[in-house]
Amino acid sequence: MRRWRRGFRGGNEHQDERFEPKFDCKVDELLEMAWILEEEGSDSFEELKIRADHDFDVQFENASQAGMLEVKGGKFTLLPNGRERAREIIRRHRLTEVLLTELFDMEESHAESDACRFEHILSPEVTESVCTLLGHPPTCPHGKPIPRGECCEKFKKEMTPLVTPLMELRPGDTGRIVFITPKSHTILDRLTSLGIVPGSEVRLHQKRPTCIVKIGETDIAIDSNIAREIFVKRV
Amino acid sequence: MDCRTAGNEIKTDLPQLILVGNPNVGKSSIFGALTGKYVTVSNYPGTTVEVSQGNVTLNKRKYLVIDTPGANSLVPMSEDEQVTRDILIEADKATVVQVADSKNLRRGLVVSTQLAEFEMPFILVLNMADEARSRGIRINTSGLQKALGVHVVSTTATQRQGIDRLMSGISQAVLSSHRIKFDRLIEESTSEIEALLTGIEKGKRGIALTVLSGDDSFTPWLHDHLPEQTIKEIEAIRSRTQEKYTQPLGYVINLRRLRAVDRLVRSLQTTEKTLLRRARKRSRLRRVHPLISLPIFAAALYGLSMLTAMNPLFALLSIPLLLFSLYMFGDWGTHQVYGIPILIGVLYLTWLFVGDFGAGAAVNFLQDTVFGKYINPGASWLIARVLPWNIAKELLIGQYGIITMAMTYAIAIVLPIVGTFFIAFGMLEDSGYLPRLAVMVDKIFKAMGLNGKAVLPMVLGLGCGTMATLTARILDTKRERVIVTLLLALGVPCSAQLGVILGIFGSTGAPFAAMAIWMGVVFGVIFLVGYLAGKLMPGEKTDFIMEVPPTRLPQITNIAIKTFARMTWYLKEAVPLFIIGTLVLFFSDKLKLLSLIEKAAAPAVQGLLGLPAKATEAFIISFLRRDYGVAGLYQMSKAGQLDTVQIIVGIVTITLFVPCLPNFLVIIKERGIKTAIAIILFIIPFSFLVGGALNWILRGLRIFS
Repeated sequence: MRRWRRGFRGGNEHQDERFEPKFDCKVDELLEMAWILEEEGSDSFEELKIRADHDFDVQFENASQAGMLEVKGGKFTLLPNGRERAREIIRRHRLTEVLLTELFDMEESHAESDACRFEHILSPEVTESVCTLLGHPPTCPHGKPIPRGECCEKFKKEMTPLVTPLMELRPGDTGRIVFITPKSHTILDRLTSLGIVPGSEVRLHQKRPTCIVKIGETDIAIDSNIAREIFVKRV
Repeated sequence: MDCRTAGNEIKTDLPQLILVGNPNVGKSSIFGALTGKYVTVSNYPGTTVEVSQGNVTLNKRKYLVIDTPGANSLVPMSEDEQVTRDILIEADKATVVQVADSKNLRRGLVVSTQLAEFEMPFILVLNMADEARSRGIRINTSGLQKALGVHVVSTTATQRQGIDRLMSGISQAVLSSHRIKFDRLIEESTSEIEALLTGIEKGKRGIALTVLSGDDSFTPWLHDHLPEQTIKEIEAIRSRTQEKYTQPLGYVINLRRLRAVDRLVRSLQTTEKTLLRRARKRSRLRRVHPLISLPIFAAALYGLSMLTAMNPLFALLSIPLLLFSLYMFGDWGTHQVYGIPILIGVLYLTWLFVGDFGAGAAVNFLQDTVFGKYINPGASWLIARVLPWNIAKELLIGQYGIITMAMTYAIAIVLPIVGTFFIAFGMLEDSGYLPRLAVMVDKIFKAMGLNGKAVLPMVLGLGCGTMATLTARILDTKRERVIVTLLLALGVPCSAQLGVILGIFGSTGAPFAAMAIWMGVVFGVIFLVGYLAGKLMPGEKTDFIMEVPPTRLPQITNIAIKTFARMTWYLKEAVPLFIIGTLVLFFSDKLKLLSLIEKAAAPAVQGLLGLPAKATEAFIISFLRRDYGVAGLYQMSKAGQLDTVQIIVGIVTITLFVPCLPNFLVIIKERGIKTAIAIILFIIPFSFLVGGALNWILRGLRIFS
């Protein structure tokens, strides 16, 4: 996420503020398209012009002024600033597609149009969380690569998805409860009466023969079945 | 339910002090400290299932103190929590002493906020202050007083610290001003319901929230206090509100309550991380790794068994060893691998103490020396001189004499066994090992349609089936309670019976083989019946959720007082029944009824089980006391009237045979007359069938001939 900020503000802070109001979704769309064309192996400025939005000229002006895109002899180049920004947009767009189609079972066409909106509004923190939640998918539903983020690098080293069932923690780990999906209301009520609710921090003491968790200074034995229905975020 | 409320009916003009709080926070200790009256104090949730009462005089004013079962919420989840809620709601001019665990303030405050809603004047006692202090947990009590608007006292009840402050603080109990603000929708519905509660003086908000939470156990109370029309209106408000939420309202309310409590805890409690870490490190040191401690433990056990073989008095050493080992590695007792040798070690130590010392040395001394050499001959000598009538002589010192049979059985055979068992059991209770056992056996109990929590009443049943049947209240569903009651009545021998059984096996030619067969059959039967009952009884399986208290070093004084209280209770309950049983036998014998019954039972007792006719007596008196029945067999085997197969068959049958009279009465009280009769009608033929089958198999295999 630090990279994203650097990419955005990168070096010319004074310009930043001047550009902010105009520097909206449209420029993002242009950079996104440039990235896609590059991916497809094209750097033709003409093609970019055709496939981009109608007020292309204004957006291109903005982008080149911000030092993100330049054109030489009918060929465009994404400058480091712009490349970084495009990368983030593409990442957000494709992650959203995966989220909507694979997790929420939306149809691809709907997912596509929603993704176009999401890509502009997701904060870096949310993006990382979505990526982790989805288990750092390498490609979007169309098979195109999702640019890697910081979280994916960490994932390679630590292999820790963000939200896991309590049972998946290692004994000794602590997690904050994110949600509980119990089979019955009774279980939910019992857990609640012991203070096991979303927001509480629990420490997994052991998993076998029966799961024992520590909440505050109380140890509670819980069936493994229930421990699988409690989802926690490692802290 | 009517039966129980009648039993808990508190009839007094005295102002009441009601002790309320989460399970295992020390309500019973505080009750003891206030009233000077002992109620069982143990280290596991659910020790108090019955309500105890006592008196205390504060500032020249006499109060009735009531100890209630632990409750995590005043919207009850189980029968014992319901008992507490019912007492609170019925209490008119009562002061509540809310006891909370200082190191688990959050759970205590949940109850405090509910007490505030029910408009009960209370003071908050932060107990176990020592444990919180050693963990670096500091509570800003003056801040808490301000936030709740009630008096707060911190105590360490087991060391009587702060009890004086508690006593002087009781007069300062006031209504709490603290109110949790719920969602707008819930607040609106609450005030609508409150408006409908005409004629109800206090606690309207609490009642309204209870109703909104959808608590079924509250319905009877509503019907008692409100017209049908109003109840319908209230129900309409409830369902209308519920429709607006996807989650059950009870959960929404609880969640909100916990959030509010969490905010309070965050602002009032500080934890010194270093102290907490040091406390955890201390307990790590205490938990010597089992790979080191278990071999030492095993060596100690081996040494002890050698010593005991030389002289049973050495079995006394098993008590300090048990105490020490439970404290040292009790925390490993839930481990999937190390837990098993620890369990075996604990069982072995208990067996050494109860079997070798209690049933061996102590019984021999009392029976052969005290009764055999002094009391019985002395009584015979005295009575022969004082009482000229033959019938009176026989009644006291004859074959079915009150002194020679009833008192010898009760005091010489059963009392030492029960006493030693209560000592060992008290250790297990106070060390916190029993809930850990529940964790270990959860999987096995699952197969019987129960869960690990059921191990508490079952193990308690090894002490006394009557008490254990009461403890079944801690289980979550009616189905589980019925299954546990059935298994307790059928197969779990009580300490008295168990001790005598161990004694008999010791006197056979092949004690270990005989005991192994008996244990195998009884365990097998319990498991099979449990399995079938679990399959046949309607209802869902409940999952295992249970609090595991910290391991603590048992206090010798508590165990001594507890054992003493239990032995007194045993003497009060058992001795009269032993005398009645003896009288029954005496008169049936005199009226020749005994031989008639023996003839009538001959096809079953002599034919099916292959036992001598005299064994019928044992079955008759075991209707009164299970241990008494076995003691009859014990006497017969000592007299050489039974061979090994007969002993095994007889004991298996009598173990499975009917529960004793007090237990049967408690079954009626707790589960209803229908269930009680159904259980008896199943048990009588079933136990004989198992005994018959075993007889046939053992004879067929010719193992002991």
